[in-house]
Amino acid sequence: MTLTDDELVARSVGGDAESFNQLILRWERPIYALAYRVIGREEDARDVCQETFLRAFRALPGFKGQAKFSSWLYRIALNLCRDWIRRQRRAPVTQMPEDVDLGEFAAERGPVESIEELVSRRELSAIVEEVMARLPEEQRTAIILKEYHGMTFQEIADMQGCPLSTVKTRLYQGLLVVRRQLEKHGQLTPQLVKRA
Amino acid sequence: MRPTFKCGDPLALVSYLYDECAPQERHAISAHVAVCEACADEIASLSSTRERLGEWHPPHAQLGFRVVPAESTVLKPVQWWRRPMPVWAQTAAAVVVFATGLSLGARLEQAAPSQGVPRAAVTTPAVTAGDLSALERRLRAEISQLHDVAAGQPAAATDAHLLDRVRTLIQDSEQRQQRELALRTAEVVRDFDAQRRVDLTRIERTLGQMDGTTGVEVEQQRQMLNYLMRVSQRGQ
Repeated sequence: MTLTDDELVARSVGGDAESFNQLILRWERPIYALAYRVIGREEDARDVCQETFLRAFRALPGFKGQAKFSSWLYRIALNLCRDWIRRQRRAPVTQMPEDVDLGEFAAERGPVESIEELVSRRELSAIVEEVMARLPEEQRTAIILKEYHGMTFQEIADMQGCPLSTVKTRLYQGLLVVRRQLEKHGQLTPQLVKRA
Repeated sequence: MRPTFKCGDPLALVSYLYDECAPQERHAISAHVAVCEACADEIASLSSTRERLGEWHPPHAQLGFRVVPAESTVLKPVQWWRRPMPVWAQTAAAVVVFATGLSLGARLEQAAPSQGVPRAAVTTPAVTAGDLSALERRLRAEISQLHDVAAGQPAAATDAHLLDRVRTLIQDSEQRQQRELALRTAEVVRDFDAQRRVDLTRIERTLGQMDGTTGVEVEQQRQMLNYLMRVSQRGQ
């Protein structure tokens, strides 16, 4: 029987470390993905992910269930990402491997996917990563929470501590910048119809 | 009241794009987009942008974090003979030891007069001032005698003896250090040899694995190199 987050949290508060480990197993990938997309470095994203669960474990007795456990985790992770960005005092750097591991490269290929398609897919992923890294932090975070974590406007507003309209504006402006950059990289056909 | 939509309103377009608006508002925007080419194009291009965003995947990372309870909180069962004794048992043991000692003492007390052991109750003669001054005189005489003997010995003999002893000690120390050095050297040689054997085994195993590479992988590598060459030629 699969227990819900709330049930696992209740057991964890009661001292059952194994229940908390189940929560980690359930949420570590999304939290890592969030951290990676916000700060752009694999190793640091792992550290942020680990620190998120450590802080959550320590603060668990104070978690009264006023928000969803996942939202609480996301909030901790985002705060840690912001601290990290503040420490770095510069825009996140896109991690581009200098040498490609051919074995790993081949293993990633799907059964019916040609090498050309695989290269194209990886190229697009790298371009999107690069474009996203150029966005201001608030816009980038809003897009990440919406696109990759399926949060509602209201949840993002709560997370970012801003009005709902600000979230929509950040999303719209961020998407416009991304679209322009993708057009520049030849990944999107330029918009031909212009508003009068 | 039927909601209205102002052409190009970005907030409304975003709500429509993410399908997070009230049904009536959605209906109004849909009706507008059906007739407004600019808004339709905006929605279409933003949707395409979202599709491209979906292609961004973070690299796979080894995670697997776990919370481990502190070792001190896990108690191992203690063997019965190591468990602390209860208070009543400790008291009983103390009473038994005390009673045994008491009875043994009483028996010794009874046996003592027959063996003729001098008793503590026998009175000793008191020490007088005369005794003490006689003892002092005798000690002074002995000490002065010792001084005379020490002064009479030749200094050279004492120094030679001392040098011999120091020399012997140094020789002993050097021999001990040489033995230890030889022992350590033998250990280092043995460790080095063992590590060399392990490394050789590992190298042999790695070479074996490389030999076992299948033809499929070689084919994949060949295809990849061909592709890379094609791409590089295209770039020129």
